[in-house]
Amino acid sequence: MRPDTHHTEPLNMTSLQETLRHHKKRMSLNLKACAGCSLCAESCFLFELNDHDPCYMPSYKVLNSLGRLYRKRGRVTQTQLHDMADLVWHNCVLCGRCYCPFGINIPAMISLARQILREQNIAGVYPHSLGAPVEKEPP
Amino acid sequence: MIKALTKPLEEIREMIAPYSRVLTIGCGGCVSLCLAGGQKEARGLNIKLSASKAPRSDAIFDDITIERQCEQQFLAALDTRVGNYDALISLACGAGVQFLAERFPNTPVFPGVNTQFVGVTRDIGWYEERCKTCGDCVLGLTAGICPVTMCSKSLFNGPCGGPQDGHCEVDPDTPCAWIAIFERLQAQGRLESITAIHPARDWQNQIPGRILVEEYRTRYIEDGETS
Amino acid sequence: MYDQIVMAAYTFARGPMLWAAALILCVGVIYRIRELYCLTIRKEKQSLPATVSTTTPTQTPEERTLDRLARIQQSAFAVHPVMFFVSILFHACLFAAPLLALGHSLEVYRAWGITPPSLPEPLIDIMTATILVCGLFFLMRRLVLPRVQAISGIADYVLLGCVMAPFLTGFCAYHQWFDYTTVITLHLLAGNVLLIVLPFTKIGHMIFFFFVRLCISSEFGPARGSRDWKV
Repeated sequence: MRPDTHHTEPLNMTSLQETLRHHKKRMSLNLKACAGCSLCAESCFLFELNDHDPCYMPSYKVLNSLGRLYRKRGRVTQTQLHDMADLVWHNCVLCGRCYCPFGINIPAMISLARQILREQNIAGVYPHSLGAPVEKEPP
Repeated sequence: MIKALTKPLEEIREMIAPYSRVLTIGCGGCVSLCLAGGQKEARGLNIKLSASKAPRSDAIFDDITIERQCEQQFLAALDTRVGNYDALISLACGAGVQFLAERFPNTPVFPGVNTQFVGVTRDIGWYEERCKTCGDCVLGLTAGICPVTMCSKSLFNGPCGGPQDGHCEVDPDTPCAWIAIFERLQAQGRLESITAIHPARDWQNQIPGRILVEEYRTRYIEDGETS
Repeated sequence: MYDQIVMAAYTFARGPMLWAAALILCVGVIYRIRELYCLTIRKEKQSLPATVSTTTPTQTPEERTLDRLARIQQSAFAVHPVMFFVSILFHACLFAAPLLALGHSLEVYRAWGITPPSLPEPLIDIMTATILVCGLFFLMRRLVLPRVQAISGIADYVLLGCVMAPFLTGFCAYHQWFDYTTVITLHLLAGNVLLIVLPFTKIGHMIFFFFVRLCISSEFGPARGSRDWKV
């Protein structure tokens, strides 16, 4: 994970709120439909791979990124946005295979969260060793 | 992204016939999106192999899906598990299968999908090829229509004279790429892109490709240098 | 004094509030369906070209059976059998009990002279008890399971309470526990509140569920769907 840094860059609140407003009807319906059943969890391979850590549940990722943006009407801090960036880039690869019994379009919400973050100059940052030969542990 | 199709079950069973402990490894990358090799497919294959108890009734089958198999940092998640198995089925594209085999050279690795092409999603379950990764992209000259991929003959000098009603003589379902290129360039007022003379291509993608992003050159030892 | 307040509340809840709640429910549900409809677009079925060069291999009968087995074993009711079963039971009783309760049918008869169908009271009583037990299961699940706790907030508990309240008060009223007039007034108030909040909160997930599952195509679900989300 990235080292913790003190985020001081100003947010473009107007642009953020405008994007939220533009997608509000559809996104708020999708968010509201979430009954918090957690049946989406097993459909995410990252949830399975990370010992069923709830932070990898599709519903968790959405409710704590886009969900938080809508609940706070965009009034978030840089640090909160960076936390969301970890959720939507590190905890999700946008493979699009998450299942919701109600038919909520989870990938669309993750995608919108990423779009909003990119508009605020926050992009996914890979860990240090992209492509580096990670030495295999001896048997 | 890369599109693939799952291999027939019988073919997979034949490949792993001699082995008693088999791990199916899914990939969360391209093959997940085209419904060929994601967690659902890895688990599904595992269920089918376990249920059919074929080829060996004593065989044990497990599955795991990792982010991507084309990067070693993600393959590292398998280091502590692979030793428990005597064969691996990889549902990644050909690149991922090879990287997996490279990391675990002492364990037989078998492909569970047939990698098809670089393409786009027309709709759920319907994918179309768009790129043959030729390494010398001319889409800027051809109004975004690829003459290598979309022309059945990969012609570079315009249509062949065979199109019938705007469709390719090789495949009547395919619109003639060069007619489409011409019409789109004409609409954009850029016909000079194809009326100009361009140097011949060297078709460099016939050898196994390697890419180096220049700013990372200093991390590696150049040919002829000592470390 | 207390009796007067209770009677006033009873008259209000049984009269204007009930009408308002029914109206808000109808308008709310229609509004939500219209909203969903307007956010989607009719998708014309695309014609496949004659030459689809590669396709998933034709399956043998054995492979088709195995494929079905793999789908079943990965479906929601195989992965979460208890939750699935409880949820089905809960929702079935949730709809059936209020619609077929004899007490409700009698009220309709008194008001309009028509006799809607109803089930025997002991059966409705069992269904109500089932709803309460299922509600308790949902509450415990939300309190105990880390994966559900992680996505739960105050609203989830409040709304569960909103759903349970009419059934709990109805159960108490049927068994004539506590002061009947108070309990039946609370039952009316709770029922009206539920009808009012239904279209505007996550309790309305049922509207979303039916529309999306029937109309919108996706990897999941049996319906092919003829609509898609507008981009």
